[in-house]
Amino acid sequence: MSGLFGAALSVFVLVTAVTTALLRDVLAVVVVFAGYSLGMALFYAFLLAPDVAMTEAAIGAGVTTLLLLLTLAKTVRTDPDRWLERPNLPAVAVFGTLLVVLVATLLDGPVVGDPGLAWDNPGVTQYYIEQAYEDTGVENTVTAVLAGYRGFDTFGEAVVVFAAGIASLIVLRQVRFTDE
Amino acid sequence: MSNESQRDTGRDGPTRTDDSSPGSGEWTYVESQIIMTTVRIVAPFSLTYGLFLTFHGADSPGGGFQGGAIIAATVLMIAFAFGVAPTREWLRNRTVVALAAGGTAAFALVGLLPVALGDSFLAHEQFEKTFGIKPKWGLEAVEIAGVAPIVAGVLVGLFFVLAAGLFRRDETSRRLADGGSPTRRRTRLTDTGPSTDGESADSSKSGDGDRGDEAATGDSTGTWGDSPGAGDTAETPDEGSSAGGDRE
Repeated sequence: MSGLFGAALSVFVLVTAVTTALLRDVLAVVVVFAGYSLGMALFYAFLLAPDVAMTEAAIGAGVTTLLLLLTLAKTVRTDPDRWLERPNLPAVAVFGTLLVVLVATLLDGPVVGDPGLAWDNPGVTQYYIEQAYEDTGVENTVTAVLAGYRGFDTFGEAVVVFAAGIASLIVLRQVRFTDE
Repeated sequence: MSNESQRDTGRDGPTRTDDSSPGSGEWTYVESQIIMTTVRIVAPFSLTYGLFLTFHGADSPGGGFQGGAIIAATVLMIAFAFGVAPTREWLRNRTVVALAAGGTAAFALVGLLPVALGDSFLAHEQFEKTFGIKPKWGLEAVEIAGVAPIVAGVLVGLFFVLAAGLFRRDETSRRLADGGSPTRRRTRLTDTGPSTDGESADSSKSGDGDRGDEAATGDSTGTWGDSPGAGDTAETPDEGSSAGGDRE
């Protein structure tokens, strides 16, 4: 994922991320954030994580944007007196320091896309790559891990999604239809 | 007079009231040829893609979560193009919640079956020992019958509930038909959403009793009226009404 395209994509994601933080008009923020999600989806695709890319494209760029827009439509949209938020300078300083530390750590990490990377990683990763097909008969290792080896975690996640969804449905109905 | 007839049609087909009544507020459904045509072309493919990701998730990128999300996105797309009310006519709340609940139940069932056979939770290899079914089908069952319906159901349900306040929906008319107290409910609605303009206008039609309530919430109504959105979509009710008529 090197070259011009990668650089352009990085710039796009960075610009949309910063714009999301700085814009004052919430509607514009939602739209820019959808663009950010789309850029991230492309990123995941080029980092050879198509499963995550699809999720990001469908949920991040698609459904979340739609739900946020619907929520916005129910709120007051104030006329912004200016386009951009005035950044809080102490906060920017703290965040900048954190960013420098994080980037310094990042540079010491292994090269992204290094084919030896996962293989050198001892223990579970190697086991999954070697054994997943034999154990489960599933060709997509991600699915094998999610539904097989880590099935219990996935069950927990599914129940959380279900419970959160049902709770939201109940709360949102109550808001509209209670008599008090 | 015309108000009465509008509400009567509302009981038979919620679609028409919701889309044709100018009282639906600023966010009335507007028929767009471009969006409808695009969705008509894209929807079959995206639905097929969602089903493919779900059913083929074990052997190619994808899986229940991605497939379910894309199936839900297809429903959202259709609802946006053709209106939420007609979509809800073939996809009832009950169906959506049943999808989510049934998915969770199916997942739990697939997990508990090996426990009943004396193994641990979600031990798919037990299926092979007992029934001669490959463990792969345990994983497939979890993805197809469990995760995908949960994700699709929850996403579609959230969309419906969020959209319900904007595009006035069958709940209200059904409650009216059931003889509930429309005034209070509708007034209550006034406090929660920008569809308030429409709502209070609507409830003022239904009788003298409503006037007082409308006045009581007059403040918030004024606020909503001032929002820029009201100006942007000022012409929508007209278009919406003709659209609603055409579709019938």
